[in-house]
Amino acid sequence: MEGLKIIQENLAILAPLFILQLILMVIALIDLAKNDEPKGPKWVWALVIIFINIVGPIVYFIAGKRR
Amino acid sequence: MQWTVILKKELTENWRNFKWLWVPIVFILISIMDLISTYYMPIIIESAGGLPDGTVIDIPMPSPSEAMLMSFSQLNMIGILILTVISMGTISGEIKSGVYELILAKPVKYTNYVTGKFFSYWLLMMVSLLLGLLASWYYTNLLFGELALSQMFIAALFYACWLTLVIAIVILYNTWFKSPGLIAFLSIITVIILTVMTNIFGHVLGWSPAKITEYISIYLHTGDLDIEIWFSAIVALLLSLACILFAIVSLRNRAID
Repeated sequence: MEGLKIIQENLAILAPLFILQLILMVIALIDLAKNDEPKGPKWVWALVIIFINIVGPIVYFIAGKRR
Repeated sequence: MQWTVILKKELTENWRNFKWLWVPIVFILISIMDLISTYYMPIIIESAGGLPDGTVIDIPMPSPSEAMLMSFSQLNMIGILILTVISMGTISGEIKSGVYELILAKPVKYTNYVTGKFFSYWLLMMVSLLLGLLASWYYTNLLFGELALSQMFIAALFYACWLTLVIAIVILYNTWFKSPGLIAFLSIITVIILTVMTNIFGHVLGWSPAKITEYISIYLHTGDLDIEIWFSAIVALLLSLACILFAIVSLRNRAID
C-alpha cells in the first residue's frame, strides 16, 4: 500500500519511464506480429517482450529477426 | 543525387524495422534509469527492509554534473553495445543475402554506398544521443539541481565524436567480414582495447578519442573546456574518416576479387 502511495506521489517523475517502456513493448509486439519467420517460437518471444522489462524488447529487436 | 537515394533507402529500411523508434527510446531509458534509481535509492532500501530499526540511511545525492555523468557512463557501455549491434549487419548482411550485388550491379559508386550507410546510422545515433541526453538533463534539473542546457549540448557534441568513431569502426569491419556476430565482437573488442590502452598510457595519449568521456567529466564539473578535448575530438573525427576511406577501398578490392 505504501509503495502505491509513493508511486502516486511521484507520478510526474515516473510516468515518462512507464510510458516509454510501454511504447517499447508495443513496438516490439507489433514487429513480432508482422514477423513472418522469427527465430524461435512466436509465443516465447511474446512472453519475453511482455514480461522482461526493457531488456526483453531489446533482445527481441536484436536477436529475434532473420534478415 | 545517387547519395541521397542510398541514404533514403537506408532511412526507410531503418524506419520499417522500427530502429528509428526503439533505438531513441532505449537511449532515453538508459540515460534516465540511473538517475531515477539513485534518486529513489533511500526509499527503495527502506521498503526492502532487512535493516535494524534506527539505522540511518545516508546516501549523498549526486551533484548535477555527477548525475549527468552517470548517463554518460551508461551510454558509454550500453549505448555503444547497441550501436554496434544495430549496425553490425548493414553491409555484411547485404553481401550475404545478395542485395549488395543487386545494388552494385547498377552503377553505384562505392563511396556513395559506404558513406550513405555510415551517414544513416550516424543520424540515428545523433538523434538518439541528443534525445537521451536531453531527457537526462531534464531529470537532472528536476531531481538533483541546475545544470545549463548549453553545457549539456556542448558535452553531447564532443561525445558524439567518440560515437562517430565507433560507427566508423563497425562500418570498416563490415567490409572485411561476413559474419555480423564477428563484426560486433571485433568492434567492441577494438573499443575496449582503445579504452584500456588510453587508461594505461593516458599520460602520453592525451589526445586519444577514448579520453573524451574523461574530458567531458572535467568540463561538466568545472565548466572549462580543456584544449585537449579539442584534440581528442579532432583525432576521433580523423580516425573515423580514415576508417570510412579504408572501408571504401576494401570494398573496392573485394569487388576485384
